[in-house]
Amino acid sequence: MNRTSHVLLMTLFAACVAAVGGVLLKDTPAEQARTAAGIFGSLVGAALAFGWILYFLPL
Amino acid sequence: MAARAPSKRPARPSAPAPAAARPLALVYLLGWLVPGGGHLWLGRTAKGAAFLVMLPLMFVIGLALDGRLFPFAPGDPLVALASIANVGSGLPYFIAQALGFGAGRVISVTYEYGNAFLIAAGLLNALVIIDAHDIALGRK
Repeated sequence: MNRTSHVLLMTLFAACVAAVGGVLLKDTPAEQARTAAGIFGSLVGAALAFGWILYFLPL
Repeated sequence: MAARAPSKRPARPSAPAPAAARPLALVYLLGWLVPGGGHLWLGRTAKGAAFLVMLPLMFVIGLALDGRLFPFAPGDPLVALASIANVGSGLPYFIAQALGFGAGRVISVTYEYGNAFLIAAGLLNALVIIDAHDIALGRK
């Protein structure tokens, strides 16, 4: 495992949180998978979006 | 102890009948010490098993990424909050402490990621305990 890849670690974190969230919030496997996919997409999408926004800010 | 008002939400048909009769304190204690333990005890085996795998896995990943198990320091609010979140992981936290893991390596490039995993594992376990509380009361 490439331990220095920030994107990979962020994706792994999002996958873990999404898996727990999906199981926690829904009762059937299909609903859990859908919810987990939504949480995962939201976390990764938000991180990439904020990353690009910060990229254009002069810091 | 005052009688609880009956929940307006109907209990799941598949929910085990004696779940509401389990002592809440034991549900909390078991759910805290063993991630998913409350669900397993209440008969929600699949959910409990998923939590039993995922939460300790997040905890171990956090340790592998050089995260730190924070000491309780009331003078430093952020560290104190992080330590409370760490303790939320239950037995994995105490085992790691006893074995000397979780010292944290600040110079490691993955240090903050490790902390994020360790803190999130504890906080998610708190949510899992709240879910077990709802199940024990027949709300879910």
